[in-house]
Amino acid sequence: MTLSCFFARRRFVSYLEGRVPPGPAARLERHLGCCARCSDLFTRVKAGHEAGRAFGRLAPVPPGRFPAFDEVRGPDRRPRARLAAFAAPALVAAAAGIVVLFAVNGRHQAAGTGGAAIGPAEITPSGAFMRLAIRDFATDSRRQVVTEGYVQEVYYDEQEQTLHIKLGENAGETGPFVICEVRDARRLTIPETGSRVRVYGRARFDAQPGRGWHEVNPVMEIAVLNR
Amino acid sequence: MPPEVSSERALPRTGPADRETSLILAASRGDEAALREIYRTYREPVWRVIVSLVGDVPQAQDILQNVFFKAFRGLSGFRFRSALFTWMYRIACNECRNHLRRRGPATVPLETILGSRYEADSAVPGGGSSGPADTLRAAVRDLPFKLREVVVLKYREDLSYEEMSRVLGCPPGTVASRLNRALSELELRLRPRGEAR
Repeated sequence: MTLSCFFARRRFVSYLEGRVPPGPAARLERHLGCCARCSDLFTRVKAGHEAGRAFGRLAPVPPGRFPAFDEVRGPDRRPRARLAAFAAPALVAAAAGIVVLFAVNGRHQAAGTGGAAIGPAEITPSGAFMRLAIRDFATDSRRQVVTEGYVQEVYYDEQEQTLHIKLGENAGETGPFVICEVRDARRLTIPETGSRVRVYGRARFDAQPGRGWHEVNPVMEIAVLNR
Repeated sequence: MPPEVSSERALPRTGPADRETSLILAASRGDEAALREIYRTYREPVWRVIVSLVGDVPQAQDILQNVFFKAFRGLSGFRFRSALFTWMYRIACNECRNHLRRRGPATVPLETILGSRYEADSAVPGGGSSGPADTLRAAVRDLPFKLREVVVLKYREDLSYEEMSRVLGCPPGTVASRLNRALSELELRLRPRGEAR
């Protein structure tokens, strides 16, 4: 394939739709007149284009019924009336969770090593930080989570301008992972690659172009379990 | 049999950009009316993409639910680098790809591929039940996922190369060459049997 073939082929569909200006269109036609391979491909693309247009005119298979709005918005967005009933105990529980978190943090700092197994008391009965395995991020809608995994990569994300820790279920670079987004790196101990850590924070899904991953953002605390 | 004509293909690109911006901002704050409006506006176009990519209605319904669930969760991180509809399509395509990858090779009920409403029209007495519309759907469904995506976005949703490049996360030139490949593959699949390739 020559450079002319490359540029000609990029314009096939636009040409078929009459969107190529006269000059480039004439060059394309001249190229098709002298290049058998492009001409053959153009014939096939033209037939495929007609088929594509016919496909576009077909009525899509109907859904039967669309899921109700309540089914798609997620269980964590409660209507106000129900939220009011939960608000007071949740606030108390959240406060308890924060106290516990500071206690955990203080103990790790005092011990200097981290790594103590998480006890039942460290996860509050209210579920202020609910345990969530990395593989379950896709199916669980909990917001405030604690998860464990191996640090696969630590890097600075230019787009977000934050430190990212890729946390995988396995020590190798296979299997499910989440990205842990650290907004204030000075406040936390940044773990080394290969260490097993426990991360506290909010579970989110980053649906921006080029991403599409589950994340813990922001990371509120990191406990290194082993190095 | 003439192919059925879709009555409602136009994408609801929702009015002026500032209106969309305020809708997204309200929705990202959890405003229920805004979330409902996004769902009402985008469920049909997102459905068309999902069902065209996956084929199976129950699976497509599950995916639709996931797409909106994830979109609503991700709205607070929406950076306004793209229009909302391209962002929604991107989530939909990613969800379909992940779903098919998890499921492995698709096993889809025959009536879903053919579309039950078309069976009666296309039935040939004493012969097969496959009409031109069914053959066309099957040929598109038979394309590798990357090629199917561009055909669906281009011909079902009428997206430009620029818009497709934002949805697929690749340059417009790549979209163009992928579309060429998809169309020549489609032509091969639709070529009458016995005809040389």
